[in-house]
Amino acid sequence: MSNHKFQHNLWDFPWGYVESFLIYSGLLITGFMMEIFFPLKTNTGIIFPYNLFILAGLFLLIIILQLFLKKQAFVKWLGSVHAAIISIVFITFMVMIMGIIPQIKTDSEFIQLLGLNSITSHWAFLLILFVFLISLGLITFKRILNFKLNNIAFILNHLGLFIALSAGILGAGDTQRLNIELEEGNPNWKAYNNKTKEYVELDFAIYLKDFIVEEFHPKLAFVENSTGKIIHNDGKNLYLINQDEHYIFNEFEIDITKYLASSGRIGDAYHFVNDIGAPPAAQLSIKNVKSSKTINGWISSGSFLYQYEALKIDENLSVVMTIPEVKKFTSEVSILQKNGERIETTIEVNKPFDFDGWKIYQLSYNEKMGKWSNTSVLELVKDPWLPYVYFGIFMMIAGAINMFWVGNKFKKENKYDVD
Amino acid sequence: MTWINFESYYLAIVFCWILSLLFLGLSYKKKKLFKYCLLFIIIGTATLIWFDVALWIELHRPPLRTLGETRLWYATFLPIIGLLVYIRWKYKWFLAYCLAMGILFLTINYLNPETYSKTLMPALQSPWFIPHVLVYLFAYALLAASSFVAIKSLYSFYKNTFSENDLKLADNLVYIGFAFLTLGLLFGALWAKEAWGNYWTWDPKEIWAFLTWMMYLLYIHYRYFHTTNSKEALLILTFAFIILLICWFGVNYLPVANTSVHTYTQS
Ligand code: HEM
Repeated sequence: MSNHKFQHNLWDFPWGYVESFLIYSGLLITGFMMEIFFPLKTNTGIIFPYNLFILAGLFLLIIILQLFLKKQAFVKWLGSVHAAIISIVFITFMVMIMGIIPQIKTDSEFIQLLGLNSITSHWAFLLILFVFLISLGLITFKRILNFKLNNIAFILNHLGLFIALSAGILGAGDTQRLNIELEEGNPNWKAYNNKTKEYVELDFAIYLKDFIVEEFHPKLAFVENSTGKIIHNDGKNLYLINQDEHYIFNEFEIDITKYLASSGRIGDAYHFVNDIGAPPAAQLSIKNVKSSKTINGWISSGSFLYQYEALKIDENLSVVMTIPEVKKFTSEVSILQKNGERIETTIEVNKPFDFDGWKIYQLSYNEKMGKWSNTSVLELVKDPWLPYVYFGIFMMIAGAINMFWVGNKFKKENKYDVD
Repeated sequence: MTWINFESYYLAIVFCWILSLLFLGLSYKKKKLFKYCLLFIIIGTATLIWFDVALWIELHRPPLRTLGETRLWYATFLPIIGLLVYIRWKYKWFLAYCLAMGILFLTINYLNPETYSKTLMPALQSPWFIPHVLVYLFAYALLAASSFVAIKSLYSFYKNTFSENDLKLADNLVYIGFAFLTLGLLFGALWAKEAWGNYWTWDPKEIWAFLTWMMYLLYIHYRYFHTTNSKEALLILTFAFIILLICWFGVNYLPVANTSVHTYTQS
């Protein structure tokens, strides 16, 4: 650090790192005190129009500070490098707590009392964030006021971050997330709000025409008879089951002679069956190269209706089929509007559907039933502040691309270190 | 086996890279030999890219899912970055470092042969997946390189042979690496919105990625204002790299691990 600190007394102008550290520590301690005595119990955020008022207040504050009070020590400090650097340190500190202590209900009274398991709604975090935002806004505003063309990169980075952060934080309270459970053949217009634990009636109904699950082929794994544990690569990267596939594992040569995606046991073999709950099965021929012994038999993953079947190959080992993993799940729905209009669409993971200010996501289904599930859960999300957040994000993307292009052009002279 | 005869590829690539390291070393005495170094890097790296593509086609998905596959891309990008930096800054030792790291990563994969499963969970089947991970790998490789420069510079401080030029390289690597880190973070947010309806959830991996980002942000600003306090800047850079390492593979061992959507262990 620079040595000017040793020559001037605390709180003499200009405020440097020590003062910045003290101010942010003050915020931190105040925040912790507030958290102990009147914690923010809910995590619902600030709702419209109060968040808009706060945002307007923030803008106004920044403008007033810069235009009328910029000679004040405090304002100079807010727009200074020292404040910026120390604020980054304190935010990092708070977020680090979040990164170490699980943000879930806890038995520890200490964690509970200090609110260490709910940092995002912690007074200390919010206070620090608030001053940080003022600081960032002020720094940006100063640059915008004496705009030069080569300031564009700076403005993209800093204004982008300011917009994305303020819109994201203040807008969080206005986001609505509703779950709607659909059953094939039945329309539903009642959605459940997880935050308020209430059902909400929608202006439209959703009708599930069909719910489709596509699965990957199941996998083959070696398990230890005594413990039932998968011994094969610690359970990772197992062999995919395909007709006529040939694998070698330790001293075993495995041939998959038959694969049935949907089957049922009839007598001592599996045959193709297309019933609800019919699991996949495979016929194997396993040769022990050391002893030249060959074992033939069937394995099946089982389903919610049928037992699984393993194939014992010697005293120690058996071969099993894992439950197939899901590749894709899709809801074919109609959206029924009050005016009688009908919109047909399909919704799947990563392919949400936009409708009437809502984004509709595929969330889950009856996982116990697996691919035979005839229920589907969709999530409806309304996020009115999203365009502003995206605006900020795209500014930052542009800033990052600029940064990549230009790299670092270091200035030789440094006006800040020479006090 | 879907890990299509990696062994022969491994031997060919490592053979090329070791040859190029050899020529690189010799070129300190005999400058002319350096072109052979470049030649063998290019042959080795081209072979590795060939392997990446073959594996991609074989798996029917980009090989970006497991730690082993991640290492593969790391090994691919290190020599490329090494070459780019050489072209711009003429640092031979940096090229050697990239090659050595590349060889190390490939060797780890060679010693842990994994057959790579073909399944990919629905949330990962997205056009955002490849840019998100590739951009991150690029950032990590550049920032790792910048930390190496930092450690070397700290050492030369101690030896009193420090030169400002070393730090300039670190700065440039951080700037470019940080740009990629920002892109990775933002692409991740945009993707999360498409997949889960939330652009930021403070998931443990996101938290540590954010912390990494903040540490490099700290470095950039500290460096910008205190161009002469090189030693403090170097310490920040070293610390930032520790956070990056926690983010990259430490998160799985933290108490917060089981609350993450980013750990894809088999159920
Ligand atoms: C997207 C994130 C950010 C990036 C990429 C970034 C990048 C930079 C760069 C490259 C500079 C050098 C000056 C220039 O380019 O003209 C700079 C200056 C500065 N940054 Fe940041 N920064 C970011 C976020 C922040 C934050 C969060 C703060 C803290 C509140 C901050 C405070 C400052 C200050 C005070 C300056 C000096 C302004 C001046 O000289 O007038 N920056 N930033």
